[in-house]
Amino acid sequence: MNTTDVAQYLNEQLKKKADAYDFSIVESDSTDLEIFESEIKKSEISSSYAVGIRLFKNGKPGYSSAKRFTLESLDIMINDALSHADLTDKVEIELPSSLNESKLDLQAYNPELENVTMNEMKDFCLVIEEKVKSGNKIENIPYLGMGKSSGTKHFYNSKGVHYNNRSNSISAYVGASAQDGDVKKMGVYSNGSRSLNKLDHQLFSNKVIERAEELLEAKPIPSGEYPVVFSNRVSGSLISMFGSIFSADMVQKGQSKLKGKLNQKIASEKLSILCNPLLVGEPGSRLYDGEGINCKETPIITDGKLINVIHNLETAKKDNVVASGHGVRGLNSRAGVSFSNLIVEKGEQALNSMLNSVNQCLYIVKLDGSSACSAISGEISIGVQGFLIENGERVQAVDRVILNSNIFDLFNKIQCFSNEYSDAFSSIKVPDMLVDKISLSS
Amino acid sequence: MKLEDIISYGMSKGARFVDVFQEETRKSSVGFRDSKVESASASIDFGYGIRMLFGKKVLYVETNHEEESKIKSLMNELISAHGVDVSTDFPKMNLNRSHIQNQHPCVKLPSDLGQSIKLQWLKNVDKIAREVSPNITQVSVSAYDETSNVNIVNSEGLSVSDTRTRTRFLVSTVASKKNNIFTGSESPGSLQGYEFFDSLDYESLTKKAANRALLMLDAGYIKGGVQPVIMGNGFGGVIFHEACGHPLETEAIRKKSSPFVGKLNKKIAADCLTAIDDGTIKNSWGSINIDDEGMPTEKTVLIENGILKNYLSDKIGAEEVGVKRTGSARRESFRYAPVSRMRNTYIAAGKDEFDAMIKSVDDGLYAKVMGGGSVNPATGEFNFSVQEGYRIHKGEIKEPVRGATLIGKGHEIIQNISMVGSDLKLAAGMCGASSGAVPTTVGQPTIKVDAIQVGGDS
Repeated sequence: MNTTDVAQYLNEQLKKKADAYDFSIVESDSTDLEIFESEIKKSEISSSYAVGIRLFKNGKPGYSSAKRFTLESLDIMINDALSHADLTDKVEIELPSSLNESKLDLQAYNPELENVTMNEMKDFCLVIEEKVKSGNKIENIPYLGMGKSSGTKHFYNSKGVHYNNRSNSISAYVGASAQDGDVKKMGVYSNGSRSLNKLDHQLFSNKVIERAEELLEAKPIPSGEYPVVFSNRVSGSLISMFGSIFSADMVQKGQSKLKGKLNQKIASEKLSILCNPLLVGEPGSRLYDGEGINCKETPIITDGKLINVIHNLETAKKDNVVASGHGVRGLNSRAGVSFSNLIVEKGEQALNSMLNSVNQCLYIVKLDGSSACSAISGEISIGVQGFLIENGERVQAVDRVILNSNIFDLFNKIQCFSNEYSDAFSSIKVPDMLVDKISLSS
Repeated sequence: MKLEDIISYGMSKGARFVDVFQEETRKSSVGFRDSKVESASASIDFGYGIRMLFGKKVLYVETNHEEESKIKSLMNELISAHGVDVSTDFPKMNLNRSHIQNQHPCVKLPSDLGQSIKLQWLKNVDKIAREVSPNITQVSVSAYDETSNVNIVNSEGLSVSDTRTRTRFLVSTVASKKNNIFTGSESPGSLQGYEFFDSLDYESLTKKAANRALLMLDAGYIKGGVQPVIMGNGFGGVIFHEACGHPLETEAIRKKSSPFVGKLNKKIAADCLTAIDDGTIKNSWGSINIDDEGMPTEKTVLIENGILKNYLSDKIGAEEVGVKRTGSARRESFRYAPVSRMRNTYIAAGKDEFDAMIKSVDDGLYAKVMGGGSVNPATGEFNFSVQEGYRIHKGEIKEPVRGATLIGKGHEIIQNISMVGSDLKLAAGMCGASSGAVPTTVGQPTIKVDAIQVGGDS
């Protein structure tokens, strides 16, 4: 059965058996390769499809998915979802009955990418490898690879809403270790694009050499409270660990400290966060969410004040607001909420000027793990590496230091943002961030 | 397409070895949160993982397309991308069907019992947790099961099948007071059917999770710095798993990306440390009958009294590193080529008493329950969170502390273990690496590490 046959069969069957439903069919293809010591170690081709349904019977949802397109599998999937609707509790939502078809081209799919061959990807990686080997202290390049992927999603619901969404991308990564005596450090750089021409092997090699070698002489600094600058390399990772605090689902269930904080000041006035799903060419952009709702730009924090949390159909109904187009749904899971592109607004200063603005600070370029950071408690306890900066000059590389704070304290201590995002092909954009005194232990 | 025909087709194109991993997996779960049945779901996963070896190159096709023409076209696309242009007649494969003895009995099959039976456990746990304290403000509970039927064939004539049923129970509690919110969770799992759910002590599990969340509400911060740490048994083994287990996989060794390269039969740890990776423990979450290359699994001694004895290896790792295979090839599903992975990894029991360990510490941390963490295998640098920790002062366990993080280097820490307890315990987890997320068990008795950097208040 092809995807059209599957959609037709499901629409026919579900109309008879369920009160309401939606389903997504996804098709995906990818090609990847890994290089080690100038040889392709592994290459991989993947081609697959899947379908996931959500149906409602007497207001109760049931979920199921299948990765086999046979009538038998589809029937099992429908029956599973129906039996699950007997188990769950009622959910107050109404599926959308229309979609405003957008004329905006998000440029999520570049047909030229289909023509990129494995040999071109191999050659790209080999050039990187050759250049990285020239690093004075580089001793091994254990991670080097490239891949391209494309996918199409077909969404349908029982009220006639239907859309197709097609996207593709290409990405490369390199990880190299540098050694100086007994000390070893790993540098990693990865990036993606929708065009091979926009990936620059010189940039990959320069960045990975710099990142592997720059911390070889690192040592701890005395414990204490320091102003901290999170490089734009890591500021996005830090903020993204706490993205779920803005989820209406988490707020409603008491799993976010933002309960009851709408229209209140929760951060420094320097912090403004918005979700913009309509940015052309960005990886998180989308016209419609996972429940068939039009996506739109949503301010989350403006000048430190909490303006919105993000909603799907269920949470919006509960709060008696309009769904903000942030619904996401795995093939066989209930709908969650998620940012499309999370954007922290830039400041005006350049990074150097920001580093010059304090007598002493820790400039953080690497975060070690995230397991002691909790979006529910807001606690942050994380290993950091970087540079001690005094009067704008790097005076010492730093490692074996643990930063302890709480995301809400940190939000309130933000002094300013730089005027630059990192070059990462990422749906999270956060500039370099200067934060007033934070506890560091070593 | 018949599996033996896929093998023959790959060999006719000049591969030196071909194997196929065919899988059908059914997964089901019910989730309960906010005192409601929030979700009930199931999935059917199906597909082929086709691996072809050309010299040292691995060519891997993964697909759930079943048509012969599509499978051949994907294989051809990959082969021709490598400039291979061979087409010879390869005789039809004669597979030697092997029957494996299931070492992990599954009595109550999920397919026989369905999901509705899970509701009683979930509702009961929600009630128990909320009765612990009015400060328990949210409870999430889920019961999960999956059954995989796999067929593995290869060009050496192997043909073997296995059925793997796993069950897991997760409870997560949220405690709130004033402006503080903390969580506590427990998540046991097993390689068996619903009899595992019958065997659980829900009251004890739930109270443990709830009391941990409540304890943290009033906890202060530990003073950071390098200090002795007593690591609790069970999930404390996650540090050995991440910081030593991964670097002992041939996947890291063959890329020279491990501090243990070239260290076989050399002393790498304190004399008191013996560590094992055992795939054969009956019904344990990380156990397997055969690995994902079809080899019967085994018990592998990694470190014996401080001496490195073995790496964990798959076919390719064994070939490239020059060691024997250990039945450790694993993958999340057909979507991933197999690589060497851990199964049930633990530090073996020693003879030290818990009280003696605590008494030996003047100022330090008792990390009773570890949280998650990660490691850079190339440098050995690790970071781990402590889910439940207490300050130790003058040989006594004192107040609970929050926000403790441990950082260090795995190969250095194992030289600093000075005491090993007798209270070995295992705990279930999921391990992520290049062949996806696989169920693994970590474990250890209580151990004393003389010096680790602990993050806390400055």
